[in-house]
Amino acid sequence: MSYVTAHHLTRYYDLSDPWIVRRITGRPKNILTAVDHVSFTIKKGETYALVGESGSGKSTIAQMVSGLLKPSGGMVQIDGHDPYDANLSPETLRQMRQRIQMVFQSPYASLNPRWKVGNIILEPIKSFNLIEDSTEQLKRVTSLLDQVGLSARDAHKYPHEFSGGQRQRISIARALASQPEMIICDEPTSALDVSVQAQVLNLLKDLQQEFSLTYLFISHDLAVISTMANTIGVLKNGQLVEEAGATSLLNAPQHDYTKMLLSSAPDIGAFI
Amino acid sequence: MTKPLLEINQLSVSLKKRRQVLKAVDALSFKIYPGEIVGLVGESGAGKSMTGAAILGLIDAPLFISDGQILFKGERIDQDASTVRGSQISMIFQDPLVSLNPLRRIGDQLVETITTHLNMSKAEAFKRAQTLLKDVGIDPSRINAYPHTFSGGMRQRVVIALALASEPELIIADEPTTALDVSVQAQILDLLKQLSKTRGTSIILITHDMGVIAETTDRVAVLYSGRLAEIGSTKDVLTDPQHPYTKGLVAATPQINAASLHEKLYQIPGAMPDLDNIPQGCAFNPRCHSADDRCRTQHPPLFHDRSACWLNDDGAKKP
Repeated sequence: MSYVTAHHLTRYYDLSDPWIVRRITGRPKNILTAVDHVSFTIKKGETYALVGESGSGKSTIAQMVSGLLKPSGGMVQIDGHDPYDANLSPETLRQMRQRIQMVFQSPYASLNPRWKVGNIILEPIKSFNLIEDSTEQLKRVTSLLDQVGLSARDAHKYPHEFSGGQRQRISIARALASQPEMIICDEPTSALDVSVQAQVLNLLKDLQQEFSLTYLFISHDLAVISTMANTIGVLKNGQLVEEAGATSLLNAPQHDYTKMLLSSAPDIGAFI
Repeated sequence: MTKPLLEINQLSVSLKKRRQVLKAVDALSFKIYPGEIVGLVGESGAGKSMTGAAILGLIDAPLFISDGQILFKGERIDQDASTVRGSQISMIFQDPLVSLNPLRRIGDQLVETITTHLNMSKAEAFKRAQTLLKDVGIDPSRINAYPHTFSGGMRQRVVIALALASEPELIIADEPTTALDVSVQAQILDLLKQLSKTRGTSIILITHDMGVIAETTDRVAVLYSGRLAEIGSTKDVLTDPQHPYTKGLVAATPQINAASLHEKLYQIPGAMPDLDNIPQGCAFNPRCHSADDRCRTQHPPLFHDRSACWLNDDGAKKP
């Protein structure tokens, strides 16, 4: 059963000059198509990876799937509901938001530096009214910290006291706090060192098994993707140029662009 | 045996903090021979960039070179590198947008660099600038363009042309492709390899990416907490790592290999220590599976010119 269905998802950005300038200079409208009729489905409990270079539309798709950015055309359905449907009841929308969480690229920018870690993780629990009792809330924060490999004492610290990898663990704990069914990971390890990257990727895999999470995993790094994804979609200039199961895409790429990406990715396996 | 172009002997770069002396680079020694590409690899804070800056004499207070020597063609440059900086040793930085002046045409920037370091008239320098652009794969007719009109990869090519302007014998490239897309990264690395081959220029390539090391370098030095963990030919180090840290790094690097799908990646527990908290003995010992009492008390020397790990101590005479 598919959890996410994207159907001809499209997003335009209007980069035109103001109307009056266009009237005077006679320049036409300047429309950038960031995402161009992209369709895919993600099965429940699986990892769908989007790979592409900068400007290919990866993050725009992530924003549209997460409910943060309205598509210009096409639609996205999450568990049968369209988050941009105007007729959707506010209650259903809240439930959808609770079930989809994000982990962003930079653990330095995505955590509020003035909040203690405990409060950062508590925020989703409070805002979705998941646990009323304050001692129970505290217990939940402690168990979340434990799940991502941090200790209960860390709840009283501020984000700057942690290393990059630990901060990304905090982001993951915050994402898990609302008991989501799906996590969108937008370049979750690009800012991390390789030994720490391995820790975070392994953690994401463990959590996926434990909570049967669905991942939309976005990265420019084919090596990272090859260790994470069930299905890979290759994006180029906003278009999905190839999509296949990870094994067949990596072993027998069909599209020239995929072949080019594979051949130019620096691979330590070249030697080993 | 050929003479080394650059020789670093027991180099330490330190920082005074209250009553402590913290070492960002600790007794580092290695040599660079003419025409080879040597990788400096390690995680953030390992001292890679600091070593590059030390070679060029770009260490600023509160940091200082507290010990050791840097010899370039047999002459000491650790106290004053101004005679070689920019002329015989040049540098390529990570972000081409920061290293180019946005208000000046790339041709002017090239001509300025050429006339500063080589004894040339402006007209000659302009011609040379055009040749350099051609060498790095940029249409020479764009010599009067401003940096913002180039893409990231093209800008990095301009930066490489600038680095080549003075015909240096050594180029220090500090994460030259980290800000670029993979396809552009492959082009830039190819360009560096080809330039090194045709001109006989030595390159020190500083990177955190083992994949880049594998595909570009002849030899590699692995740094950990400012110390040399392992050094050797790239092939030896990657296929038969001796130091547990190198082993961990290689194993933790994801490979594009369908067989690796859904297997767990090897992970090194913990993280690199802060400068004010480097453990006694081998700096890696708290993260190492094979650490014993000697590792916790004594700092290992480099055994067999290869690996600074007590595991490689086979009782042969100490260096």
